[in-house]
Formats: sequence, structure tokens, C-alpha cells
Amino acid sequence: MDTTNQTDANAAPILELRNLQMHFPVREGVFNRAAKFCKAVDGVSLQLQAGETLGLVGESGCGKSTLGKCVVRLNQPTGGQVLYDGVDLAPLKRKELKPYRRDLQMVFQDPVESLNARHTIGEILAEPFIIHGIGDRESRKASVAALLERVGLPATAADRYPFEFSGGQRQRIGLARAIALNPRVLVCDEPVSALDVSIQSQVLNLFLELQREMGLSYIFIAHNLAVVKHVSDRIAIMYLGRVVELAPADEVYRDARHPYTRALISAIPQPEARRKSERIVMTGDVPSPIDPPSGCPFHPRCPHATDKCKAEAPALRPAPNGAEGHTVSCHYDL
Amino acid sequence: MSESPTATPPVLEVENLVTTFDTDAGRLTAVDGVSFTVRAGQTVGIVGESGCGKSVTALSIMRLLPQPMGQIRGGEIRLKGKDLVSLPIEDMHDIRGGKIGMIFQEPMTALNPVHTIGRQLSEVFLLHLTKDPKDAWQRGITMLEKVGIPAPADRMHEYPHQLSGGMRQRVVIAMALACEPSVVIADEPTTALDVTIQAQILELMQQLQRDLGIAIVLITHDLGVVAEMCDEVVVMYAGRVAESGPVERIFEHPTHPYTRGLLASIPRLTTPRKAKLPVIEGMVPSLADLPSGCRFQNRCPHRDERCDQLPPLEEVAADHHCACHRWRELPPNNAN
Repeated sequence: MDTTNQTDANAAPILELRNLQMHFPVREGVFNRAAKFCKAVDGVSLQLQAGETLGLVGESGCGKSTLGKCVVRLNQPTGGQVLYDGVDLAPLKRKELKPYRRDLQMVFQDPVESLNARHTIGEILAEPFIIHGIGDRESRKASVAALLERVGLPATAADRYPFEFSGGQRQRIGLARAIALNPRVLVCDEPVSALDVSIQSQVLNLFLELQREMGLSYIFIAHNLAVVKHVSDRIAIMYLGRVVELAPADEVYRDARHPYTRALISAIPQPEARRKSERIVMTGDVPSPIDPPSGCPFHPRCPHATDKCKAEAPALRPAPNGAEGHTVSCHYDL
Repeated sequence: MSESPTATPPVLEVENLVTTFDTDAGRLTAVDGVSFTVRAGQTVGIVGESGCGKSVTALSIMRLLPQPMGQIRGGEIRLKGKDLVSLPIEDMHDIRGGKIGMIFQEPMTALNPVHTIGRQLSEVFLLHLTKDPKDAWQRGITMLEKVGIPAPADRMHEYPHQLSGGMRQRVVIAMALACEPSVVIADEPTTALDVTIQAQILELMQQLQRDLGIAIVLITHDLGVVAEMCDEVVVMYAGRVAESGPVERIFEHPTHPYTRGLLASIPRLTTPRKAKLPVIEGMVPSLADLPSGCRFQNRCPHRDERCDQLPPLEEVAADHHCACHRWRELPPNNAN
């Protein structure tokens, strides 16, 4: 399929993360001192081009959601930069951030918890306009109606409450709220994983349509690699707060280099009758980001680990003979 | 495992099960005439979306329906030939955990947070197999070892919150298999887990099934899990069986428009990126507002006037059944 929103790699990225860190203090003891830090995001550098979808994949606790929250500044990063159009958002205060909030929006996983149950859909969708002082009562009403139509809901939905809608419809409402102010970047945190199978594809199609129409850039966070691959141009695989592999979406599947990526792909149950290929079953759990392993964070679960992996953390480097933009952080060429 | 499923005797037979709930909106039929058979060493998957009745089917088998709203109104559930529906509820205590094991979706809610793993696990043995607490404790350690928990003797003294999600699910599996049941009902056993942990748990379930020859009823919404685990599949929609048959048949020749739509709508690693996915329009009807006749008709691209009548479950091929008036006329399916 021809990807019309294939982006020019030389253009300045719309969003750039430089060595982003989010270390949460773990307080303990009599004096409630930060004795340790939970390194949820530990030195991530990524770029997002205009109109592009960057997929973020990893297991629970890998830091993908925290990273998303740092981008929309629901978390204030403890280190590194979040460059939006050349401006570093990381150190900005609440007031200074307000003009940028319009451009960077978020869609949450659980459309039940992210919509205020006591407000009508009309009130929920009008709120962004009120906060940013856009339009009057009448024009807001028209904007809300236009938003509802755009996400495929009837205009009468404006007078109803969130509980009257199904999960898929609520996710459409969450999406309508996120695009209300014509943002440029949308951080989507597991937007379809709470939905039923037959509804997932409807909502995924809507995401793709809106991107084409509005030229949106997405950071699409999910644990389901097949879903991420479907919507993304490039995919970053995260493990314990770091990016272990970054590649064009098709390459991740076709030419995975990192042993973690390979295990992740082979672990996905495919809806095809009795596939014959062997599954790589990794032993053990993801270690705690409070006390991450030395060297390569993946070494305790890696079937190829050597002494070097225990001692030295590998840096992201171009995959040998790989596609352009394919980088991997592993000492070895597997 | 699946080579000669008909050769082994049926362990669990569900026939024409009807389960209703009395609610403010009146009496809702959550399960409406569901039948399936599970044989020793076989895994039968029950697939469907939220509200299709798959979990209510499981609760009906266990006789664990919320009382007094949930009632079995018809049909039979036979465990090795013995009807469970007519059994006095006291006799179910021996069946649950003894002859039928259960694995639930959320291991944190299935385990009691204020009791140690050891206490909860040995309780199962004390209820069904032994009177001696020391013996029960020892059996617990053996069981934890069997489900691949490292340092099982130490883990017995720990509380559920001290274990990871995957380890907790292993404990739940240990409890389900403690008394060597003939059937295990697993309701979304891996839905709350990460994919790599899911792979471990599925592998464990398959290995234990090989070793112990148990029959598994696997309830899930994940068609990928079904493809990897099951011998037979029952596709449910709005309380009824839409289609059932051997897993290869269902995935290679899906016949019911719902099954076809479902299989076509899932993005796979091989689907062209950013292509528009085929969708099933609309959504599952509410139980209070079911269409008369075929339950799927308001979302079906092939509906005609016949669909106002309930379609019978007809045989499409050996062991492959489909409840659609029009299955003979539909274009040949080319799934996968």
C-alpha cells in the first residue's frame, strides 16, 4: 500500500525527544527521603516527523506510557529535552505550557475513566474551546456537532451522558475531544486495547482517516504489535525504560535484530490454524526499573547473553546491512 | 492431542443450555440453547465478544451464577454422564475445585490477598484429598514446582502481592489442577498478562494437559489464543452459538458471516500497513433489545427476509456447524 503520508526524513521533525529521562523518587525511611529512583524512562531519544505515526511497543513497566505522558507534559521529565517545533517543553511551567497544549493532545486507554461521568458529551467536547477562549456559545455548539459527525456519532449524542455509550463510541468521543482544537501531535495510549475485536477495526480505521484528513502525527502506544504495525510508519521497541530497537514498521516484523523484539514477535498468538513455527518462550519476568540489571537491561532473559552483556550497556547503533533508519541496541549481530 | 479427538470419551457435555437473569429490565436470556462437548485431553475454545454469554456459560457449568438473579432454565450439563443441573448445590462443593478446576482472568482477585499462597493452596487439598495439614502443605509445594515456580517452598510463605502477574497466574493454575480434575475451565486466563508471559502460561497449560490428560474449556476473545490452543471452537454471538467446529475448519473455512467478519477485521502482522480494515458495522445488540430471528441480522451484510426466523444450527461439514439461513448461498470464503 502506498503510504501517502510517507515523510521526508530530512525535514525538521515536529517533535524530538533528546535523552529523555523520567526518574520517579521511591521514598522510604523515617525522613521520607528519596532513597532510590524508579527509572521509568531512562535516556530515550526519538524523532517524530509531521504526518508520521511512531509506534511504541513494550510490556507493562517498560515506560511507554510514562514516555507518552512526558510528551504531553502530564509528567515533568527529570532530564533531557522534549523539543516541539524547536522549543523545549520539558522545563516549562504550567502557564507557559498552555499555548502548546492545543497542539499536543492525548487519547487514553480507558474511555470510561477519561470522560467525566457527570457531564454531557456536549459539555465534555465544548470544554477545550472554553479553556482556550475560542468562540461563543453558539459557535461552540456548532463545533461540537461538527466534531461528533467527524468521528461518526449522531449530533444528538451531545445531550447524552458517557454511560449511555458503548466502549467503542466512548473512544470515539475521547478522540473527538483530542482533535477538538486541531492539534498537530496526538499521543494515543493503548486506544483500542479495551475494545472488542469487531469494534477495534472500526476505531483503527477512524484513526487512519483522521490522520489523512488532518495531517496528524501520532505516537501510538500499545502492547499489541500487530495493531501497532498496522497503523505505524516506524516502531520503537522499549524495554525497561530504553529503546532497544527502532525501525520502519515492516522491518520490525521482517528483519527484527534485537533478541527481545524477536521473542516479542514470536510470542504473539496468530489467528491462523495451527502454525508450525516454534515459539521463542522467554523465561522470567521483566525486572524492576527500580533496580535494573547491570549492563544490557535484557541480559537476564536473553538466550544469547555473554559476560560483555552483563558488564556493558549497548548503545543504539545502525543495524548492519539493515534498512535506512533501522537501529538496534545489542552488542552482537544476531 | 487433536489427532483422534472422537476416540476419547466425552468428559463434559453441555446440551441446550439456557441461562437467564432477572433484572430491572425484565428477564434477559444470556445463554440461549448452547451445546458443546469436551473430550479428555481436548481443548474447546469458546470465543465471542463482551456480552455474548461465554462467561455465563462457564458460571452455569460451575453453578456459580449470581443468586437469585441468575438461573439455569433449561438444558443439561453432564460431567462424565452425571447431570450437574439437577444436583443439590451442596454436592457441587465436591465438584468445584475437585472434579472441575477453574482459572480466572485476574489472578489478583482470584487469590485472597490476606492469606499466604501456602495456606490457600493447601486449603484445596484439605477440602478434597487429605486431612493432614502437613501432607497438604507438602502437596502444595509439589504442585508449585509442577507449574514452574522457582523456590516453591519459600513461595508458600509469601502473599499474592509479592508475586508478579505471571507467577500469580501459575499459582491459580496450581490451585485449579491440585486435585487432578477431569475438566479445567479457564476464563480469559491470559488476558491480563503481557504477551511474553502469556506465551509462558499457554505453554504451561499445554504441557500440563499433555501430562494429566485433562479437558480444557478455554474462554477467550482472542482468536490468536484460540488458534494456538484449541482443538474445537464454539463461536458465540448474543447468547447463541453462531458456528462451531474443529479449529482448522473454522479458521480456514469460516462460514457464518459473523465469524468471517471477525477473522477479516483483525490486523495481522501480514496485513498491508495503513490499509483500511474490513469492519463489522454497528455493535452487539443489548440483551434487552435483541432482534427477533437471527441475532446477527442488524450487522449482517447478507441479511434477507428469512433472517427474521431463528436459524437452526446446520451441519456444514463433518463436526462443523453453522447457524445461518444463507450459508449455502454465500460466496465461498477465502479467509487467510
